[in-house]
Amino acid sequence: MKRSKTMELGVGLFMLAGILGLVFLGLSVSGLNNGLSSTSFSLKADFADIGGLKKGSRVTMAGVQIGKVTSVELDQEWFDARVTMELNGELEGQLSEDTTAAILTSGLLGEQYIGLTVGGAPDTLEDGDVIHDTQKALVLEELIQQFVSNMVNN
Amino acid sequence: MIKQRITSLGRSTLDTFESLGRATIFLFQASVGIPGKEGFHLWLRQMHFIGVMSLAIVLVSGLFIGMVLGLQGYTILVDFGAEDALGQMVSLSLLRELAPVVAALLFAGRAGSALTAEIGLMKATEQLSSMEMIGVDPLRRVVAPRLWAGFVSLPLLTIGFSVVGIWGGYLVGVDWLGVNEGSYWSNMQASVSFIDDVGNGLIKALVFALVVTWIAVFQGYDLVPTSEGISRATTRTVVYSSLAVLGLDFVLTTLMFGEL
Amino acid sequence: MMNDPQFVEVENMYFSRGEKEIFRGVDMHIPRGKITAIMGPSGSGKTTLLKLIGGQLYPDAGRVEIDGLDVHRLKRRELFRLRRRMGMLFQSGALFSDLSVFENVAFPLRVHTDLPEAMIRDVVLMKLEAVGLRGARNLMPAELSGGMLRRVALARAIALDPELILYDEPFVGQDPISMGVLVQLIKKVNQALGLTAVIVSHDIKETMSIADYVYVLSDGKVMAHGTPANLNVDRDPQVSQFMHGEPDGPVPFHYPAPDYYSDILNQGARQ
Repeated sequence: MKRSKTMELGVGLFMLAGILGLVFLGLSVSGLNNGLSSTSFSLKADFADIGGLKKGSRVTMAGVQIGKVTSVELDQEWFDARVTMELNGELEGQLSEDTTAAILTSGLLGEQYIGLTVGGAPDTLEDGDVIHDTQKALVLEELIQQFVSNMVNN
Repeated sequence: MIKQRITSLGRSTLDTFESLGRATIFLFQASVGIPGKEGFHLWLRQMHFIGVMSLAIVLVSGLFIGMVLGLQGYTILVDFGAEDALGQMVSLSLLRELAPVVAALLFAGRAGSALTAEIGLMKATEQLSSMEMIGVDPLRRVVAPRLWAGFVSLPLLTIGFSVVGIWGGYLVGVDWLGVNEGSYWSNMQASVSFIDDVGNGLIKALVFALVVTWIAVFQGYDLVPTSEGISRATTRTVVYSSLAVLGLDFVLTTLMFGEL
Repeated sequence: MMNDPQFVEVENMYFSRGEKEIFRGVDMHIPRGKITAIMGPSGSGKTTLLKLIGGQLYPDAGRVEIDGLDVHRLKRRELFRLRRRMGMLFQSGALFSDLSVFENVAFPLRVHTDLPEAMIRDVVLMKLEAVGLRGARNLMPAELSGGMLRRVALARAIALDPELILYDEPFVGQDPISMGVLVQLIKKVNQALGLTAVIVSHDIKETMSIADYVYVLSDGKVMAHGTPANLNVDRDPQVSQFMHGEPDGPVPFHYPAPDYYSDILNQGARQ
């Protein structure tokens, strides 16, 4: 009987470890809860070019992750990219209306993400508002082209 | 001469189909049984032998594979100045491919061969026959708990493999080679999708669990009850299940990630 | 005697394995409450016959009836219910190697009855006492000798007080002492429980000493049957060869082969 008790304990621990492992894979590896507390709000932003930004990319402020991109679609009227992001609910009503959004790259070839910088306007962004002041992604090919044409002109 | 060849081809084809048919009927008869309290205890016992006993080899292998991925990934990525993407590379390789496949191969070698040998030995020593004569169906009593324990164990082992592997990549990449800790995790989190990567990896693990356990118990149940028969069947279990795992992995990968 | 249906009736049974015909029309009538022996040379399919009676194999033609039930027409559940009334002692004992002696004997009780633990313990100890191994109840099968294994297996076979018990080669490979013990036990169990026993064996002396009726199989047929006393004085050369263990006779010493001299000369000519 005693042997069967230790066996039961072993199997129980095994199952528990598996479930905890799955939770770890969910939270720390796929970042299911990332930067998002229980509440969240969404903002939109239009970019001329989003480069490699995609659903799930990070949204940061001063380097700290505060949310992620939930959808990327083409605006059929202006033909630019409409990005929807979900941000930490605590920040609702904290970001000034003239907040700017820029698409940044981690490292030279790394993942692309959105960096937000607050401005000084008194009004604040609410759920569903659109950020107007945006800076498109740095596309490496364009940079090189600029660099080459500068060289030629000089 | 030619007629003989054709006849033998026909015979082996028929034999193959007959054996597949037997294996399918066998799977249904064995897995349909209603598990009572007694069944739960038998299952628990098999979980111990199949799952818990395979844990050590799976976790150690996972750690080493994660460490190797960390090292290899770093040397490749650092040439492009993209060593920050190490977390992404380690986690995606593990979750999508290496954890399900390598854990299934190890499982076939460790637990699958043991299952075949154990059931085969019970058959050779007439234990299965005597169980039948006592009026207990060995498919329910012997085979079913082992099948279910296998189905449950391998996905859990696969999760363990991934977790330990990601930690191994972290040890080598961050602690040893100096990749930024924050970017190891945040790059990983930005690129790993729970449904697409973790979920699909687990679906693979479930399919492999079904196939490997099925092959192992069927080979044990269907073998020629002699010592030679047992050793042949054990080898067959490992060979067939390895081939099945690798072949199915290609099919599943095409279905899951082919459109990316 | 042939008119009354007996406890076990085997009627005109045919069975073949692959190309090899094992039984070609076997008829047997096994009376209730008696020990019936089935004898025959090795390879005459005696073990197969027991498996056919137990419903583990299916005959190509003919039928087997136990207590009026056609074994091979029963549904799976009915067959398992019928098997609770049977016990079988396998050649190797076939104890479950992961259970102790006690648990092995308790196994049929646990799966087929709802007896409380205390009652199971009493029954198991009673059965083990009957085979003289009450003291060995905590040993594992791997720790037992061949003779003890069979005695435990006998205790397990009679755990549910079956009406029919099938013995598969109970005397093979036993030293004289355990052979004597087994012969005694089989006889004792039969008298005490009044059950019907079928013994398959080729150990003539031991089997003849306890059997009430004997069937001799050869070439897939019943070659002779009768009481041990009758068979012992049977004049038929085949029966007498088997009963008295003569090396050559109707059953030839040599495997079928071409003539010895021409075989050797041919070989020499070719080289």
